[in-house]
Amino acid sequence: MALAPWMVPKREFGGVGYLITPFTTVNPQNLELPASLGLGWVGAVFWVWAGLMGAASLAFLQPDPRSRSRALYALGAVGVALFALEAVLFYQAVNSANQAALAGGATRVPLRRFTLSLGAYLGCFYALALLLLARVQLPGGKAFLVRYRGAAVPVVSLLLSVLVGALLILVLGRVPGVEGSSLSLREWVALKLDLITFSFQLLFSPIYTLSGWFNSLQQTTPLIFAGLAVAFAFRAGLFNIGGPGQITLGAIFVMIVGVFLPGPGWVVLPLSILAAALGGALWGGLAGWLKARFGANEVVNTIMLNYIAASVLLFFLASNQQRFFGYTLYLPFKAQGFEAKSLELRPEAQIPLMINLLAPGGEFSWAIPVALVAGLATFFFLRRADLGRRLLLGGGAAVLGYALGGLIPGPTLASDLVRDLAASKLNGSFLLALGVLILVHYYLLRTVGGYEMRAAGLAPRAAEYAGINLGRKIVLAMLVSGALAGLAATHYVQGGVMDEYRLKQSIPVGVGFDGIAVALMGQNTSLGVALAGFLFGVLRTGGLDLSQQLGISRELVTVIISLVVLAIALGGLLPRYFTDPLKAAQVETEAKDEEAARTAMRRAG
Amino acid sequence: MNEIFTLALLFSTLRQTTPILLTALGGLFSERSGVVNIGLEGIMLFGALAAAVVTQRLEVPFLASDPNAQIWWIPWVGLLAGAAVGGLVAWVHALASIKYKADQIISGTAINLLALGAPSLVLEYYYDNSTSSQEVVNRLPLISVGPENLSPLVFLAFLLVPVIWWVLFKTPWGLRLRAVGEHPEAAETMGVNVIRTRYVAVVISGLLAGIAGAYLSIGFLNQFVKGMSAGLGFIALAALIVGKWHPIGVLGSTLLFGFASALSIQLTGRNILPVPVVQAIPFILTMLVLVGFIGRSRPPAAVGKPYDK
Repeated sequence: MALAPWMVPKREFGGVGYLITPFTTVNPQNLELPASLGLGWVGAVFWVWAGLMGAASLAFLQPDPRSRSRALYALGAVGVALFALEAVLFYQAVNSANQAALAGGATRVPLRRFTLSLGAYLGCFYALALLLLARVQLPGGKAFLVRYRGAAVPVVSLLLSVLVGALLILVLGRVPGVEGSSLSLREWVALKLDLITFSFQLLFSPIYTLSGWFNSLQQTTPLIFAGLAVAFAFRAGLFNIGGPGQITLGAIFVMIVGVFLPGPGWVVLPLSILAAALGGALWGGLAGWLKARFGANEVVNTIMLNYIAASVLLFFLASNQQRFFGYTLYLPFKAQGFEAKSLELRPEAQIPLMINLLAPGGEFSWAIPVALVAGLATFFFLRRADLGRRLLLGGGAAVLGYALGGLIPGPTLASDLVRDLAASKLNGSFLLALGVLILVHYYLLRTVGGYEMRAAGLAPRAAEYAGINLGRKIVLAMLVSGALAGLAATHYVQGGVMDEYRLKQSIPVGVGFDGIAVALMGQNTSLGVALAGFLFGVLRTGGLDLSQQLGISRELVTVIISLVVLAIALGGLLPRYFTDPLKAAQVETEAKDEEAARTAMRRAG
Repeated sequence: MNEIFTLALLFSTLRQTTPILLTALGGLFSERSGVVNIGLEGIMLFGALAAAVVTQRLEVPFLASDPNAQIWWIPWVGLLAGAAVGGLVAWVHALASIKYKADQIISGTAINLLALGAPSLVLEYYYDNSTSSQEVVNRLPLISVGPENLSPLVFLAFLLVPVIWWVLFKTPWGLRLRAVGEHPEAAETMGVNVIRTRYVAVVISGLLAGIAGAYLSIGFLNQFVKGMSAGLGFIALAALIVGKWHPIGVLGSTLLFGFASALSIQLTGRNILPVPVVQAIPFILTMLVLVGFIGRSRPPAAVGKPYDK
């Protein structure tokens, strides 16, 4: 904490900043700060933090767990308040300095890019950790942790991957704008730590801005499809690593239907979406059938099908003539020109951008967002009701929301909201993803077929004994899984995400692999997949900023995502009772027994 | 047709077989000890990356005075670096699947995903280029055989087949290794250290896959290119299944895939089949052979199952 910079009141685009630590400032490029900026309290706050940490260490020495926990709660609360105070003081100082500069006749504010930095955040994390520790000190604390293990493993895994990512930046990242030789060790450490903090601030920055949200949701759409595909297969006890191939086939099918099927939009659009599902289902189902019929491992086969799909794509897009043993086959798919891309989709087969859905005829309407929120909220909050009623009520709420939302006056077309939405490529495929999410959720958890699917995944032998046709379940699971992955193609080809409504060779099929991380992080539940998909969507969006501003490859995001997979496979390095359901149950039973014993004692005494 | 089936095709087959064979032999150790290593593809990429980068960085001081300087030991250090990094990555997989009892398929997949992203960071750091390394001048030397040249690693790979056969089936350690893969509880009762045996086997698989990767980047080509293993690691796994987890069988099946790859190279640009179809041949063949051989091929009984004392 003493080494890390606490705040960066001024930052240039390339990442160079004026760093303030409790004892000194680090200013490698001689940036100028306004004289009116008052941050003299930082050194004093550091001593308060040091005192807090000392007090916390003393609190741990308390023999009685109850008073220990009470002390830790109090110290944690003080810490969080202290962090909030720091933030308020910092923002006030920067604002008043800016106001003073404007009053002094400056044409624009001198401090536009400013942030809290690692030292301040560390205090916050420390306080939060104290709060958590306080809860764990109480009787039954371990059982409390274990009860939330569904969230604990993904969260800890994410933290671990961020930590390793930070190490990578530490080693591979270059401190922007300075030659290393002229720095003292202390400055070098501060600059490196600042580089790490700034990188992660950039990675998560889309959360703070409206345009960041829209871009992240745009990136989330294919991740939801890919994540659902993997999660669905996992639920059935299968590992579908064939997302890339299934997306490719889905894209090819969409392209064929979208380019060549004439007809009105209400026929062509649904048919082309179905074609995407069909293409993916074909590729996934093939692997499923090979497993069911011949026992061929689906992991190896889906991987092989990924490579074959890449060849199929090349076959369609590389050239309009393909030669077989001296005969020439003429294909109509490739567009004229050097680039390997298909003809443009008919307008009827294009999925409109969200801006066109939300502002039809040039007038922004709240109808769809309100309908969405109302429908989803109703669906997810009516946990107790049976599925039919949930769907019915959710649908009703959505319709009602649509009607009421239409009445709310929308912002004018010149507003930030509309501008940011128009700039993002968020399209109708996002709504499709949410719909599919609910359908999968419904099927898996509320229907007989879904129950059998999960049974086959959990205990295949037992399921077979109970009369479930395993072979058919395997084929069906891979068909559906492939179809879900294939639907991601609607986002890319029909949604105009790749700047054109065409199938291109550069279609980013690797998102099929990211689906593995999304499914694992989301614990194979639909809500989890949505949340994990959004998290990775944010990271992917932030990764663009990262490479633009700091020159750190956006592949850092890929690395972090794969580290999440690894960390989840490791159970987040948490003790076994977090990952092993039997041991978890044991811990909870022990806690309950202990609780019962204690109440009995109290009653007796 | 005669112009396709030439001596050149034979040599090409040997060259194409080498990385698959090395990797499959590595996978043989790992799976015989009861650990699935689907991360071999990624380990290969890491090995290739390490070999290319280390070789290139080592030769930088020598190339300043003579841009074509040939220093005999540099590529061998690169090869060792590739093997070492392969072993290290495999050790991570071993840690996950043995110590933390992780799902071995997921852990291996994580390594493969990592190999898609991590090389870009390293390449950007050294070369400001996220897709390939600079070319190395000091490639692994070649040995001329008749009309063509072959890398010494080709000989190493084929020589390893009888050696590994002997180690697995004629030495006490090989017996223990196989016992650990078939019935770890029984092996433990007989005094075999299951955990250690598995660690060693998985790390060996990483060393061999790392060497295979080094063969790709500084033996076959002279630079690292993103995604250069192009599925060879997965084909090696399939070859392992087809070869029934036996060194001789693995030799046969990898020769088959090596031949398919060599054939697809020979067919490219001959207007007999479209290029995309030709490129897909090895993968289609893999699937067909996998389907055809299943049922007759029985994996080690304990493969994929974490060992719980």
